[in-house]
Amino acid sequence: MPNEETDEQGEIILSDLPDDELVKQMHDDLYDGLAEEVKEGTNILLERGWKADKVLNEALVSGMTIVGIDFRDGILFVPEVLLAANSMKAGMAILRPILVSTGAKPVGKMVIGTVKGDIHDIGKNLVGMMMEGAGFEVINLGINTSVEKYLEALKEHRPDILGMSALLTTTMPYMKVVIDMMKEEGIRSEYIVMVGGAPLNEEFGKEIGADAYCRDAATAVETAKRLVAERRATA
Amino acid sequence: MVRRSARSRNRRQEPAVKQLPWRQLVNPYSPIEVLSTDQIEAIHQSSLVLLERTGMRVLHEEARKILKAAGADVDPTTKMVRFDRGLVEEKVALVPSEFTLRARNPERDITLGGNRIAFCTVSGPAYCTDLDRGRRTGTFADTCDFLRLAQSLNIIHQEGGWGFEPQDLPPETRHLDMYQAQCRLLDKTWQPWALGRERSVDAIEMACIAFGTDREGLAKRPPFLTVVNTNTPLQLDIPMAEGLIEYAQAGQVVCVTPFTLAGAMGPVTLAGTLSLQNAEALAVLTLIQIVNPGAPAMYGAFTSNVDMKSGSPAFGTPEYTKAALASGQLARRHGIPFRSSNTNTSNTVDAQAVYESAMSLWGAIMGHANLVYHAAGWLEGGLTASFEKLIVDAEMLQMMAEYMKPIEVSEDTLALEAIEEVGPGGHFFGSPHTLERYETAFYSPMLSDWRNYETWKEAGSIDTTTRANKIWKRLLEEYQPVPLDPAVDEALAAYVAKRKEGMPAAGK
Repeated sequence: MPNEETDEQGEIILSDLPDDELVKQMHDDLYDGLAEEVKEGTNILLERGWKADKVLNEALVSGMTIVGIDFRDGILFVPEVLLAANSMKAGMAILRPILVSTGAKPVGKMVIGTVKGDIHDIGKNLVGMMMEGAGFEVINLGINTSVEKYLEALKEHRPDILGMSALLTTTMPYMKVVIDMMKEEGIRSEYIVMVGGAPLNEEFGKEIGADAYCRDAATAVETAKRLVAERRATA
Repeated sequence: MVRRSARSRNRRQEPAVKQLPWRQLVNPYSPIEVLSTDQIEAIHQSSLVLLERTGMRVLHEEARKILKAAGADVDPTTKMVRFDRGLVEEKVALVPSEFTLRARNPERDITLGGNRIAFCTVSGPAYCTDLDRGRRTGTFADTCDFLRLAQSLNIIHQEGGWGFEPQDLPPETRHLDMYQAQCRLLDKTWQPWALGRERSVDAIEMACIAFGTDREGLAKRPPFLTVVNTNTPLQLDIPMAEGLIEYAQAGQVVCVTPFTLAGAMGPVTLAGTLSLQNAEALAVLTLIQIVNPGAPAMYGAFTSNVDMKSGSPAFGTPEYTKAALASGQLARRHGIPFRSSNTNTSNTVDAQAVYESAMSLWGAIMGHANLVYHAAGWLEGGLTASFEKLIVDAEMLQMMAEYMKPIEVSEDTLALEAIEEVGPGGHFFGSPHTLERYETAFYSPMLSDWRNYETWKEAGSIDTTTRANKIWKRLLEEYQPVPLDPAVDEALAAYVAKRKEGMPAAGK
């Protein structure tokens, strides 16, 4: 692994660390994509009586916020962000059942897919990865997604956010088809709609009636967090 | 449990300006040959006929005497020297195919010849320019900043001769102050001037002081490479002849460079101008080898064309690129290290400056130049040295350095398993094959902005030249002095002070 040369700090016993240092160490471990260590840290905090949502917010989500900032600023490489997000997911896997059983508010849920006629999905997958990394539950519909499939997924998963992506100027108008259908069915206001893809811009997003256009994965996470928070505040 | 990095802290401590590490470069590719072997021979034969039938006007008496003693046919009235082809071929064959230049820091020594290539900063412009202060006559302080940047940029292998002229210093003693600054501010090799005997002797004497050696020691391990131009067509002037004799006698490398501008000082046909360039280069190389048989030297080419509507020179033209590639062929025919340049005719650091430079650079790289002179900082046909262009060029040179890393084809790099593992429609960001290599797989630019439009716009829509401006200022702030032994520093200062005594307008 690329970070091995900096191992000169030697071994750290996570369970020996006081809470505040452990949380800091977990931020570092998330940053360095060490899934096993993040899982261990998550379990230790739970054993010490931390509530699951506190572990989620203070150890995992805030750790991933640092990752998000450094991804946005071009400090981290994509594979590193992927490892960090996977570590976050590993911690989330422990927390999710507890969160559900205690009725704690999840970070949020997103249904995401590349629109019909388009099979370009690397950017969309990066967004999905970053969203998961930020603690969102992501249902990835894949590529070539029809309006029926989008609506079905919305009904089934009841997400906070619908995300649509396209790489082609010929397929991006399909986003409007989906949004129009949501309006027709009277469910448009129930969801935050975020759109993205290389040929899109802010203006296009507004024109088709999306809530936000996101230029990249890091922006998508920031925007998603903001819009979900705003929605919950007004709810 | 293995512990543990803090990539975050490490990354944030990285220097603000990303650079490739210092490295001597090797060009692994076959040179592009724009001429056939027969065509090269035809050009060469035409040069030999020219030297036999017409010869060169050598204005310097001592040089004529040296040539006459070696068997050249000298007319004292016209100062024309005609060269027998046997003499030329015998002497040119003595030029070593490779040489090493000694730097103050032994890790910065450079070897030129064969497949090795080095990049050197611009030299000679009358003006300097930057975004903040505009185009102006440069000062001593400006040239010192330029030297500091040449030192700080890892991709620069040699400092070319103080960038531009510090016109606040009197011309008679300017070279003394500049040699002293070069000794102080650089641990890389640097070029002195060959313009006249005094400027040459001073460089040699000061190098002896700087390296704590004598002329014999200096000859054994030469620190200097200096450019000698002919006065095309077919003339060698007095200062250049004086300079080349001094440097050749001292065993220093003379880079013979006819400045052949097709249409003005050469015929409008490239074949004709190349034969003229070749004739002049061979004549001067012959003189060098008579002065000091086996002395290291270079075959420099500076053939471009003029704008036939104004008579002014143009650079980085298609003709320039072809001439550079053909000149490489001529140099290799003679077995002599080859020098080319990175030039353009633009008045500002804009798209023209860069596409003309790119044309020049491709000619130099694929023509297998061993030294790319003016590789960074040249603007406006060589009339101005630009601080921003220095950075833009450094980025292009870094890209060329990476371009010269050959593609590795092995089981490992073919990544068959990784491709099969990822499968149709997947991505490689998380593949173990990627995780083992991503940090060093691709060149990471120093200057290019790869962010998306919105992010770039939000950050102020900053263009290349403005970013380059920030980078050179940052590099200046972070310049690491290269301390000189105080005794050496003092001895150099004493030499300069002594030489300035009684000089007109000196001591300013």
